[in-house]
Parts: sequence; C-alpha cells; structure tokens
Amino acid sequence: MKMMELLLELTVMPLLAFTVGLFMVLMMRKIAAKIQRRVGPPLLQPLYDIVKLYAKETQSSHGLLHDIGIVMAVGGYIAAETMLPVPGMNGIADKAGMLTLAYVTMIPSLGLALGVGQCANPNGSIGIARALTAMLAYDVPFVVIIFGASWLYGSNNLVEVIAAQQAGGIASWGVTQMPLLAIAGLFTLYAMLGKQPFEIYVAPAEIATGPMVEMGGKHLGGLFVMQCFQLFTASAIYVSLFLGGGENWLFFIAKLFAVVAIPMSMAFVFPRYRTEDVLAVVWRWPMLLGLIGVWLVMR
Amino acid sequence: MNALDILLALSALMPPAALLFGRWRGYAWLAGMVLTGQIILLAGCDLPLAAGMNLEIFGRSVGWRLDAFGRFFALITLGVALASTVYMGGEWGERHAAGGHSPRWLHGALAGNVLAMLLLLSSQDLIAFFIGWELTSWAGFLLMAQGGEKALRAALRYVPYAMSGAMAVLGGLALTLAWTGTLDLAALTGIMPTLDNTKLALLLALFGMGFSIKMGLLPFHLWQAPAYAEAAGAGTAFLGAISARMGLFALALLLVKLMTLTRVADLAFIEGLFTARDLLAWVAALTIVLPTFTALKQNDARYLLAWHGIGQGGYMLLGIVIGDATGSAGGLLHVFNYATYQAALVLAVFAVMHRTGTADLNSLGGLVTRMPLTFLVMLLGIIGLAGLPPMNGFVSKWLVYRSLMLDGRPLLFLMTVIGTLGTILSVYKLIHNTFLGQLRAEHEQIREAPWSMTLPMLALVILAFVTGAAPGLALSWVAEAQAALGLPVLAYTLGGIESPRGNLDMLWIVGVLFAGFGIGALLFYGAGGRSKRVHQLDNYAGGHFLSADVRYHYSDHFYAGLMHRIGPFYRSSFTRLESAVAAATDLAASLMQVWYRQTVPALTLLVAAVLGLSWMIWK
Repeated sequence: MKMMELLLELTVMPLLAFTVGLFMVLMMRKIAAKIQRRVGPPLLQPLYDIVKLYAKETQSSHGLLHDIGIVMAVGGYIAAETMLPVPGMNGIADKAGMLTLAYVTMIPSLGLALGVGQCANPNGSIGIARALTAMLAYDVPFVVIIFGASWLYGSNNLVEVIAAQQAGGIASWGVTQMPLLAIAGLFTLYAMLGKQPFEIYVAPAEIATGPMVEMGGKHLGGLFVMQCFQLFTASAIYVSLFLGGGENWLFFIAKLFAVVAIPMSMAFVFPRYRTEDVLAVVWRWPMLLGLIGVWLVMR
Repeated sequence: MNALDILLALSALMPPAALLFGRWRGYAWLAGMVLTGQIILLAGCDLPLAAGMNLEIFGRSVGWRLDAFGRFFALITLGVALASTVYMGGEWGERHAAGGHSPRWLHGALAGNVLAMLLLLSSQDLIAFFIGWELTSWAGFLLMAQGGEKALRAALRYVPYAMSGAMAVLGGLALTLAWTGTLDLAALTGIMPTLDNTKLALLLALFGMGFSIKMGLLPFHLWQAPAYAEAAGAGTAFLGAISARMGLFALALLLVKLMTLTRVADLAFIEGLFTARDLLAWVAALTIVLPTFTALKQNDARYLLAWHGIGQGGYMLLGIVIGDATGSAGGLLHVFNYATYQAALVLAVFAVMHRTGTADLNSLGGLVTRMPLTFLVMLLGIIGLAGLPPMNGFVSKWLVYRSLMLDGRPLLFLMTVIGTLGTILSVYKLIHNTFLGQLRAEHEQIREAPWSMTLPMLALVILAFVTGAAPGLALSWVAEAQAALGLPVLAYTLGGIESPRGNLDMLWIVGVLFAGFGIGALLFYGAGGRSKRVHQLDNYAGGHFLSADVRYHYSDHFYAGLMHRIGPFYRSSFTRLESAVAAATDLAASLMQVWYRQTVPALTLLVAAVLGLSWMIWK
C-alpha cells in the first residue's frame, strides 16, 4: 500500500508542479503587461502556446541529440519535482536531500546545452557558454544558502527542514532565523530565473535568442514546459527553506506566487548585465550576505 | 605460496614477458587474461595476507603484507591496467608501433608500473615501502616517456620533482628510524603518535612533501599535467587514473594510520585556530579549485583532463583529512570512481585522436554522428567527472560535501562546489568542441573507433554508471579499507547511506531520473507533430546559409565573459615559483662547485673564516 501511495505521489507531484508553473508564467506575463500598460494574455494562453508549439506542422530536428537534449531538460525537472516536498506529499525527498536536489536541477541545463550544441549554430553555443557562466555565478551563493539552512536545522533533508519550521511557527521560519540568507536567497533566485537584468544568455539583439536560436515546434515547446518547472522548482525551494514550506496548498501557492512576483515586478524595468557583470554582482552581494548569514547562523 | 605470492609473482613475470613478446599481437590478450586472473584472485582472498618472500637489508627484515586498504588501491590499479592493455592490443597498438614506437617498451612499462604499485601497496615496513615508492616513480617515468620527444621532455621535468620527493621521504625514513628505532609499519602505528610535536611536524613535512609531489598537490603539481598528457594513449589513461593516487595512499597511511589525525590536529600554527590538519584541508581545497580553472583554459583535450586529474585529487585528500566516516568514505570512494571515468575519458580522447590525428579543441567538432559510441563514453564520463547524478562521481563528492556540512566547514564546502561548477563548464567545453557543433569537412568520412578501443571504454563507463546507481557495491570495499586504516567505518546501503541528518538512496534517485527521462521522451516523441531531420551540414545562421568550407564552430575562447572577470587571476605564480626554485638550486649548485673545486680559494678562506669567527662569538 505504501509503495502504491509513493508511486501515486511520484506521478502527481510533477503534474502539480507543471500546472502551478503554467500559472506562474501567466503571472509573469501579466506583470510585464501591467508595467508596459498592456492588457496581457488570457488565462490559458501559456497552455495554448505549448499546444501550438507541439502541434506545429513544420518542425526540424538537427539530430538525435537535439531531441534528447529536450528530453533531458524536461525529464530532469520531472525527476526533481519528486524530491521537492509539497503539502501532503514528500515523494522521495527523504531519500535525496536538498544537496542532491540542487545537483539534479543541473541536469536539465546540461540537456539543454547538449541539444543546443548539436544544432551547430554558433549563436546557440555562445548562449550556452553564457548560460553556464551564469550558472556558475548563481550556484555559488545558492550552495552557501543550502549550507546555512542545513546547519541551522541540522539536516540535509528538506522534509525535516520544513517540519522544523512548521513546528515553531513564523518565529522559526528561515526568513526569521536567518534573514541575511533569506535576502541572499531571493537575490540568487532572481538570477536563477534568468530574467532581466540576468538574461544575457538570451541576448535577442546580438546573438538572436542564444540557446533558443535553433528551437522551434516541440523543441521550443519542451523548453516552455521546462520553464514552468523551473519557476515552480526555484520558488518551492525558497519557500521550503525560508517560508516554512506549505502548511496546506492554499498557503503554499500564495507563498510560491509571492516569491516569484517579487523579482518579476522588478525585472521588466531593467536593462541587462553583461556576462562578466552578472558574475561580479552575484559573487559580490548575495555571496557577501550569504557568508555573513552563515557566520551568524553558526555563531 | 599464498594469493599474495602468486599475485606478486605474476606481476614480476609480466615486465620481462612484455619486453620479450610485446611485439606479438596476442600479448595484450595474454596480459589481459593474467590481469583478469589477478583481479579475481585479489577480490576473493582473505586479508590480511603476508607474502612468503622476505628479504634482509642492513640486518633489517623487509617484507610484504597486504591489507584491505592496500587491496582497494590494488584492485583499481589492476582494473585500469586491464582496460589500458586491451586498448593497446588492437588497432591503437598497431598504429603506435607503426609510428616508430616500441610496443614492447610500452607494455613493459605498464607491467612494471603494476608490479611497482603492488609492491608499494603491500609493503609491511618502510624499507619495502621505499623500494616500492622508488620503483613506482621510475616505472612511472618510463611510461611517461613512451610518447615521443615531447613526452620525454615532460617526463624529464618530473625527474627533479621525483628525486626531491625521494630525498624527502628518505630523510623522513632515516629520522623515523633514529627516533623510534623501528621501520615496521605495525610497530610505528603505536610509536609515532607518541613523538613530540616538533619531531612529528618534521616527519610530516618531509614525508608530506614527498607524497604530495607524487599526488600533484599544490604547490608541487606543475610536472603532472604535461607528463601525463603527452604520454602514449593507453599509458596516459593508466597514469591519469591511478598513478598519482599512490601519493594519496601514502598520505592516508601516514596521516591516519601512522600519525593519527588527532595528533596531526595537535600541530598548531595558530593555537586553537589553524593546525596542520587545517593546512592540509586548505591545500586539498586549493588543489581542487586552481587546477580546475587551469583545466578550463586548456585547448588540448589531453591537458584539460590531466589538469582535472590534479584537481580531483583534492576531493580525495580533503575527505580523508576531515576523517569522519562519511568524508573519508567519500575520499576513498572517489579514488575508485575517478579511476573509472577518467580512464574512460582519456581513452575516448585518444580514440578521437586515433581517427582525426588531433586533440586540439579548436580543430574538432561535430563528431557525434561519426563516432557515437565514443561520444556516449565521453558524455557519461563527463557527467561522472562533473559529479552529477546518475554517475558515481556524484556519490563520492556528495559524501565529501556532506562531511564538510556536518563538520561545519562552510568555506571548504564552498571551494569544493566551486571546483565542481568549474568542472561542469570545462567538461562541457570538452564535449562541445569535440563532438557537437560544426563537423569539419575533413572529418566527414571518419568512422567509429574499433571495438578493441570502444569495448574497454564502454566497460569503464558502465562500471561508473552501475556503481553510481548502486554505490553500495563499491562502498563495501571502501568500508573494509576504512577499517584497515583505522578510520570510522561508514554504515552504507546498496543505494548509498542512511543517516538521521540526511539520506542518499541512489537506487531511487536514478530510478526516478530515468522515469523522468522516459516521460520526457514519451511527451517528445508521442505528442505533437513529426519533426523532419535535417542534415548535419545543413545549417543557417544570421540570415546566411553555412557551408562546410566556412568555419563557424564556436570553440576558441569559449567562456569569454568568465575569462574577462577571472582572467587577471591567472598569473602563472606557480610557474614563476618553480623557475625561482630552479634558479636558486642552480645558484647553490654553482656555489658548491666553486667551493668543491677550489676555483676561488680566497672565497673558501673567507667563508671558513666568517663561519669560524661566528661560531666563536656565538659560543
């Protein structure tokens, strides 16, 4: 019976993550529209986009690896969702831990990088070089934050980290216990989402959309799905580390959307950093805050 | 004769056999069968096991005795030698011989390395250890020198390092005898920790320097990358995968078994703040980061991997220096894991060289369609080297990270992760520039490497995958090695570890990952419209059709943005330090020559007078 429950959770968790992610994309577009004084897309537009991309008649593939890259990008996130506890479901979170989750979330990036590389478009490769550099930038403060949370709650297991926060109420939430790390985490999350001013790897003007340059049809549709997962995953990790996870789905979703809304409200009024400036800004501010935060936690 | 006697006797027979029959095509298969037999024999025997052979040197008994710690390294040595030998036995070996190189010497050098390492790993006392140590160094030199003129030059650069290391070890050995009255390793285990701090520090400095040179720890690492990279293909794989780990074996023996980590931690530079153990941990951490970012700048695939080899050694030492059950298991497991994927990666690079004639990352590209199996090997290998699931490199690194987290070492933890991220960037450049992007017109007709080359590579990455999904298989050897060394033993499961502070179950993680890929594939191939496969050379960018004669592969200066930021940190400081030490040694040697040959008698008189007067005043 327990095994059946677990298998059910492993099936449902990615589906819920994808659904929430779809609405996050909608929110992101709505925020952009409001800032730019437009109406913005209708409720189901993100879904229509995916269906449209998958159903396109003219689709071209540059080879098996081009396809497998997309499979890895989507599949990697499907696996990652089962390691991320949500209200009522823990999946295999207690068998993996947050460090493993952090590394599993790198697999989709590797898949994307392989797929783009196969396309043999120099603009795509430049985009990947920039995207991997950005990953090097934001993952460094990200692991500092994981270290701090793991030390504070005495466990690498996200289920226990969430349980410890929920047992003590808001006073024991990560944001209260380690505020500097929470600020650093928000900054890192912002960079991780790859929106302005951190979207140099897309660079529509000079490298013509970077990694997406050869993507169309199902390939681009797959990346759209990946974006939904990415938004959910990044925000759910933040909520689990700093905002007490989800007591129930209502609070959980409210927290998730609030976390994504903060960077998105700022993103669309920015120009963008160059690659070397992304490194400088991310290695300076969230890193500094993160290291001071860890020092305070360990004191 | 017991199993150890048979093992050593077989290994002793192989170098002369190689020199006699190495030119014969079937030799590699014969040597492969002998190595397979040795692996089976070693894996099945009960330990510890003393060899029947005993020598007496200067009135002291010299013997060999293998325990589980030595067996762990010996199994890896034999396994990598097997893969390299099979690789050498086919088309690659023929090409090597046709290029004017001697297959007899290459086989002989490899067999000599195996013998030397087995002698070292089973040494019972410091004399046997020193014999093994020196044999390993010189056999290593012989293997390094097999790749032609450049290889010989690189190998010669290793000689002064090796000799300095040998002198340091010999000095340590003499002091150990003077201070403890014994050279027997079992007896020293009880005596060495009782020495006072000054004596212990001096022994640590002497032995530590000697062992660090072999391992390529900072600042003694400069010899390693060129010496390993320029060697002949299969030799490079063996050297890169296991040779330098003899230094780690010796360091672990010294730090954990002979001195004990507790005593090493007593040697304080700043009381209560910074000890010899911290220094070793930081040297290990810097060895992870600096060579990794040097690898990132390489444009030759062999050098890129060789530099990563130096960096990966840092994870192993760091885990052992932390010394808890998790960290030390991670450090030791990384020796095995690293050997599997590094050997596969090096062999894959040489397979590409075999077909294209180059390892220059700016002269390749697009080979995925030409050499798909070699690509698969490189893909799995780089995932292992980068330390990502589902390969085994992730598990050993995870254990080291976990140990640093539990031990409360945020900065060291950060260094290990920076090393991993740097590796991800670097290995992507390796696979991108070799197998992805534009296929060069001159490579359009290239075929996959022959089975004699792909088979050992595939076997290695399959092993790396299986021990990634079920790390318990390798952790059983690690746990035995920990017990033999006197370390706390990791409680492991088939899938990883169970701990109240966070579990790791790779069986589930890998299962879920592949289920995710399966669903991803179903979504991709099962839903939506059909995609049309375009030809690899049918490309178009920036409003312009690209033809094969236009070179558009983005390869050179791959991480331009990153280099813009970190470029100024590459200052060649260690190269300058090496030059300074060489110049100082040269000057000292010249002065000694002047003194010895009495070229300037007045100078001799002056120095003697100053020293004599100084002594009188001081007295």
